[in-house]
Amino acid sequence: MFSIRKKKIQNPREISLSIYKKRWLKFKTMKRGYYSFIILIILYALSFALPLFINNRALLVKFEGRYYFPAIAGYYPGDKFNQDVPGEANYRLLREQWQDTGSDNWLVMPPYPFGPFEDITVKGNAMYEPPSRQHWLGTDDTGRDVFARLCYAFNISISFALILAILNYIIGISIGGAMGYFGGKFDLIFQRFIEIWSSLPMLFVIIIIASIIRPNFFILILIYTLVNWIGMTYLMRAEFYREKAKDYVAAALSMGQSNLKVIFKHILPNSLVPVITYFPFAIVGYISALVGLDYLGFGLPPPTPSWGQMLDIGLQNMSKWWMVFSPVGAQFITLLLVVFIGEGVREAFDPKVYSRLR
Amino acid sequence: MNSDQNHPREVLVEVTGLKKYFPIRRGFFSRIQGYVKAVDDVSFKLFRGETLGLVGESGCGKTTTGRLILQLLQPTAGSVKFEGRELVGLSTRELRPLRRGMQIIFQDPYSSLNPRMTVENMLAEALRVHRIVPKQEITTEIYRLLDIVGLPRLHAKRYPHEFSGGQRQRIGIARALSVRPKLIILDEPVSALDVSIQAQIINLLKDLQKSYGLTYLFIAHDLSVVEYISDRVAVMYLGKIAEIAEAAELYHTTQHPYSNALLSAVPVADPDNKSRRIILTGDVPSPANPPSGCTFHPRCPLANANGDFIEQCRVEQPGLVEKSENHFTACHQV
Repeated sequence: MFSIRKKKIQNPREISLSIYKKRWLKFKTMKRGYYSFIILIILYALSFALPLFINNRALLVKFEGRYYFPAIAGYYPGDKFNQDVPGEANYRLLREQWQDTGSDNWLVMPPYPFGPFEDITVKGNAMYEPPSRQHWLGTDDTGRDVFARLCYAFNISISFALILAILNYIIGISIGGAMGYFGGKFDLIFQRFIEIWSSLPMLFVIIIIASIIRPNFFILILIYTLVNWIGMTYLMRAEFYREKAKDYVAAALSMGQSNLKVIFKHILPNSLVPVITYFPFAIVGYISALVGLDYLGFGLPPPTPSWGQMLDIGLQNMSKWWMVFSPVGAQFITLLLVVFIGEGVREAFDPKVYSRLR
Repeated sequence: MNSDQNHPREVLVEVTGLKKYFPIRRGFFSRIQGYVKAVDDVSFKLFRGETLGLVGESGCGKTTTGRLILQLLQPTAGSVKFEGRELVGLSTRELRPLRRGMQIIFQDPYSSLNPRMTVENMLAEALRVHRIVPKQEITTEIYRLLDIVGLPRLHAKRYPHEFSGGQRQRIGIARALSVRPKLIILDEPVSALDVSIQAQIINLLKDLQKSYGLTYLFIAHDLSVVEYISDRVAVMYLGKIAEIAEAAELYHTTQHPYSNALLSAVPVADPDNKSRRIILTGDVPSPANPPSGCTFHPRCPLANANGDFIEQCRVEQPGLVEKSENHFTACHQV
């Protein structure tokens, strides 16, 4: 008996795990959710490096002994490289020219040498091209490459949803938590305020604001945040009301711990369960919201690549199937991944050991 | 049991006229419709080094009294003096240094420990707030505390969900001890544990009291446990103290009819015991609308004369009167 005990003590694997760590481990066993999570994380991380993969600007240009990095540095006019085009240099043409003439100058293009903003004004582009080896998902009504736009829109959609969700969470958790913790008059006043505030007709507010100023990415997030933080306060208020009545809070207070410490060290970590399980579904909601708004034309200003706008254009050109299916498919796959993650998270937080969705 | 010989009778806590009324709010504007008199004019003294047992049925205000002493609840009226210093009305900041002197151990060992903190962090928290020991000695101090309550040191890195109820209660005790308090309020510390563990914890508490000179306010509804651990016992009924006396005295020469009924309900492990079980009629009255006069009179066998209540019991509130030496009872008929 004693020897068994001693062995146990020395076993380094017998490390105590916090509840969140345990849930993370359980989430990892949820194959579908875990792999969706990994795929989405990798795709999103890669999407920040998109200019290096999908771009009409060259990665590296060697011209008359000097090196240029247009993909990173940005705009260079065509005459910089002795090219006779109006405006920006056309690197695809440039490469062909230099290869044909056998000059010392050379350049390296990204693997997919088309940008999301190139339209018919760029030499060599054409409208309504069906999918081919060159344009994987064809081109749209203004000759822009659909695949390039799709990928850039992915980054914008996820970023929009993430920033919006995090902002909403910060505001909603602080206000809801304060309402629950302090209770009384503070709670009463804020509840009434929230009831009035939540009756604002969101869509009309956005339409009105969009008709006055052209909303950009951040203004759109701001407008959405104005109304969307409310949902979180309900959850947090209830959680804080429940947690603050527990004895460990009384113990911390009787120990002389300050209110702020009690809120952040004791109550908050114990009330994050609904927040975390709700998060992926909030992301789904916000992605769809952006798509909807863009589709209606009150969202991000064109030519910002966005799925909603692509869908709108696609529906105006129903016969060009690639213009309809691409944004729908991209949105479907993304939302599916997020929902799988959400299912996994929800399952990981389920105290029941046996589950259906494994 | 008598603590007179062992300790000089120095008052540690003095509670005078303590009241806590919880407002009942109703209606659209949350108007106050009345009050639940959870604690109604309670006065007693706690002497240094003693254990005062506080007994009574559910909802009589025992726990509220304990929390009022710690200022976890704001009293409606009355005063609590800790080592001669008034606690009522102090701000959170003024209270903080005084909090070191008094701690609480809770009934439910499952909700009294933060499930996201390791034992180590829990114990370190109090040590940091009051700077009990220098930073580099915190780990040693945590080990010392674990040794005191009889837990192995490797438990320091564990989370509460890995412990049994008895072990959790030991962690709660270690946490209370970490600030080296003078007074510990034990809010039914063994009610949630099974009987064998109860005995362990009670003996641990007794040992700790002996080695550190602690003062206990032992809140419980198990009368045999209270008799075992307490020097003095106070019986509460509907927010008031009915009787307060030395434990042995109270258990043998009970004066108040309510204490009598309460004690008669304690099972005795003797098959030949033929003591009469006093069964009280009626329910406990609501503390929101307590009976006039003596709050116990509708159920009191002494106040009930030929189906009618004695006038004095019905109208006049009895005060705590010293009926015999150190034995206070609030009853007109004793």
